[in-house]
Amino acid sequence: MKRVLAVSAAMLFAFLHLPLVVLAVFSFNSSRLAVWEGFSLRWYAAALRDGQLGEASANSLVIALVATAAATAVGTLCAYGLWKRDSRAIGVSLSLSLVTPEIVMGISLLALFQWVFRFLGVQLGLHTVILAHVSFCLALVVIVVLARLRTMDATLEEAAMDLGASPWQAFRRVTLPSLMPGIVSAALLAFTISFDDYVITSMVAGVDSETLPMVLYAIARRGANPVVNAISTVIVFGLGLLIIVSERLRKA
Amino acid sequence: MTRRRTLFFLGLSGLAGCTRGNTPRLNVFNWSNYVGDDTLARFEARTGIKVRYAIYESNEEMLARVMTGNSGWDVVFPSNYFIEPMREMGLLARLDRARLTNLANLDALFQRPAWDPALAWCVPYMWGSSGILYDTRLADAPRAWADLWTPRFQGRVTMLDDPAEVFGAALKKLGLSLNSTGEAELRRAQGEAMKQKPLLRAYLNAEVRDQIVAGDIAACQLWATTAQQAIDAAPHLQYAYPREGFALYADCAVVLRESRRAGLAHEFLNYLLEPEVAAGIVRVSRTATANGVARRMLPAEVSGLRALYPDAETLERGEWFQALPAAAQLLRDRLWTELKSA
Amino acid sequence: MKRLRLIFLTPAAALLAGLFVAPLAILAVYTVLTRGAYGGVSAPFTVENWMRLADPLYLAIVWRSFVVAGVSTAICVVLGFPLALFIARSGARKNLYLALVMLPFWTSFLVRTYAWMFLLRDTGLINTMLLAMGVISEPLPLLYNWGAVIVGLVYGYLPFLVLPLFATLERMDPALVEASADLGAGPWQTVWRVILPLSAPGLRAGAILVFIPCLGAYLTPDLLGGGKTILIGTLIQNQFTSARDWPFGSAVALGLMGLVMVLLWLHARRGGEPLV
Repeated sequence: MKRVLAVSAAMLFAFLHLPLVVLAVFSFNSSRLAVWEGFSLRWYAAALRDGQLGEASANSLVIALVATAAATAVGTLCAYGLWKRDSRAIGVSLSLSLVTPEIVMGISLLALFQWVFRFLGVQLGLHTVILAHVSFCLALVVIVVLARLRTMDATLEEAAMDLGASPWQAFRRVTLPSLMPGIVSAALLAFTISFDDYVITSMVAGVDSETLPMVLYAIARRGANPVVNAISTVIVFGLGLLIIVSERLRKA
Repeated sequence: MTRRRTLFFLGLSGLAGCTRGNTPRLNVFNWSNYVGDDTLARFEARTGIKVRYAIYESNEEMLARVMTGNSGWDVVFPSNYFIEPMREMGLLARLDRARLTNLANLDALFQRPAWDPALAWCVPYMWGSSGILYDTRLADAPRAWADLWTPRFQGRVTMLDDPAEVFGAALKKLGLSLNSTGEAELRRAQGEAMKQKPLLRAYLNAEVRDQIVAGDIAACQLWATTAQQAIDAAPHLQYAYPREGFALYADCAVVLRESRRAGLAHEFLNYLLEPEVAAGIVRVSRTATANGVARRMLPAEVSGLRALYPDAETLERGEWFQALPAAAQLLRDRLWTELKSA
Repeated sequence: MKRLRLIFLTPAAALLAGLFVAPLAILAVYTVLTRGAYGGVSAPFTVENWMRLADPLYLAIVWRSFVVAGVSTAICVVLGFPLALFIARSGARKNLYLALVMLPFWTSFLVRTYAWMFLLRDTGLINTMLLAMGVISEPLPLLYNWGAVIVGLVYGYLPFLVLPLFATLERMDPALVEASADLGAGPWQTVWRVILPLSAPGLRAGAILVFIPCLGAYLTPDLLGGGKTILIGTLIQNQFTSARDWPFGSAVALGLMGLVMVLLWLHARRGGEPLV
């Protein structure tokens, strides 16, 4: 039984990682095709030289950071509020927004920005992308933080308040610190999803808001391009490192 | 600690808010591979205007982005059959011909084009056809659309993933006009496409280029511009203008009505019309320029590329795509959905 | 206390109202308008767009999307259950294994799809290797068929199943498993009779999180399916691009939302794990 589980888990891990390993290996291939020719860093050099990629990466980073910060702040407060007492309207909207297919969300946001923002004379751009990202990250943050809150002991806050703390102080000094791990995982999840989003972003993007996935898609559609492999390898390792470091910090 | 972090994020969002600087800037949205390496830099050096340049891969993608009327783009390059819809939707600015002093450089073909005879809305930029790209190592080369309906290509042929192109080829195969709008004609074309579907590997656009270069695919319907790139990468490929006739398209520069920098936009359009500039672009991009003076400046090995510039006799068989009336568009989308669903 | 809670909930409520409910409301208005000649929407009001949904052509597309999403979800369940169980029982290395499940999701979704195309093509890695080893003499047609689409969907959404399922399994009282063993059940019997029924809520939550994105997916089916078929996601996308029929596209999108709501309601009524 145990062996069967271990073997099937190993096979599934292989399934999940094989495409990435292939990607990483072939990012070092000197040939453009699926045939191994020799080790080379030319695709990494090409990626570095590409100004459009650099700009798109910077955009993606800014969008993901700002959207994550906003969604995490608002989402944490919301989760705490819901933990205190459930609100049906908010709960239902959150579950719905969580499972709304991306295409539906993208189109509806486009409709919103088209009517409201044109009326206000606002152009599409980074800000519309950030708003869209906050909107789809919010539900994720609430879920993760709420899950953590539900494992916590509500009597601690009561004890704090019995000892004279105001409700705000009880939240700030008692609940928030022990909630930190949940908040960090929520932020990581939001960051990952925001950094990766293509479908919604491509619909609400304006002039200065080309993101990395949009540029990668444009490159990849013109044909297999090892530059894409090189960048993806960098991203996996970069984000992987980020998560490992943040795990370490959390434990320390 | 927390306060510092909040400040940090606030600073970041402030940064995000003021990416728009004070130097005059022009936002240009164009097809991929449509400018040379130094085209934009030279314009910037000459005028002191910054150009923000981004690329798209389909008319639909471009239209979806600019349809809102607050996209921020100034100049885009729709294909000829998108000019009329975009004008009807109020997206285009009327061009000021007095500022386009280089218009005379256009090829005779584009001086009075059917889609905009007075050139009041657009400036033709590049043009091309959709034909058949095939592997010359095959025993008998495809010469007609009908050849892509034969079982010898079973599973090794692709068509473009675009209703206008697939039904266009089927209509041509039937000896009808590409731009047929009648229900009977469109239904017959759909019937042909249905017959062909089991033979197809897939419906692919530009992705097919690498696959035909690598040898996955033996023949495909493809745009001449993309076909030329494939031929440059694999000399055993060749482009054929199908016997029954084929589609022609022209990508044209337009100024969007939402543009707050129409003056700069005209200056840019006029710059692109300069023969040296236009010739410099196609020397790198290997696409077909609509600029007649520029074409005559090109070396023979570029201006003589048969995939890009058909001879006069071949050109006779070509037919320009037109914008479909609303009812025909609705019907065509339904027929397309049926085809995909089958 | 009450005031504090209000302050805490207001920002989220405002965001949800402005960026989720209002956009859907605009789409709802679109669905009863007429298609503009070249895209966009115009007067007069009409219910025709909703009537068109009942067309057998579109019903067939909905049905096909359900089958594809259902098959993908079923495969995810079959694959995800042992994986989640393995991780839940792996003690101290749990976090490492969970990170390994999430790792592929740090690359762009598109890049992962292209990686699969790279593997599955005629001249791709799998065919090249099999040809070189002499196992096959002709490349296998791996790409541009239903198999490739389902592989892509399973690959894309497996973690959405594993994570909630893992959470449920981990919370399960180990005494129940021991009791089952004490009462003479073999390990397989314990899994089948005890663990599986007890993990049903998490399994259902995970299945919903896989099923719904699969139902609306459009990039994976298009890229791996080679455009030879059409699912709901592509249908919606087409209405907003090539067909320029926004009202009908909005109607299909909202219809899809309706289906999603029904699923959630069923899930809640069966006492499932709440998603929020």
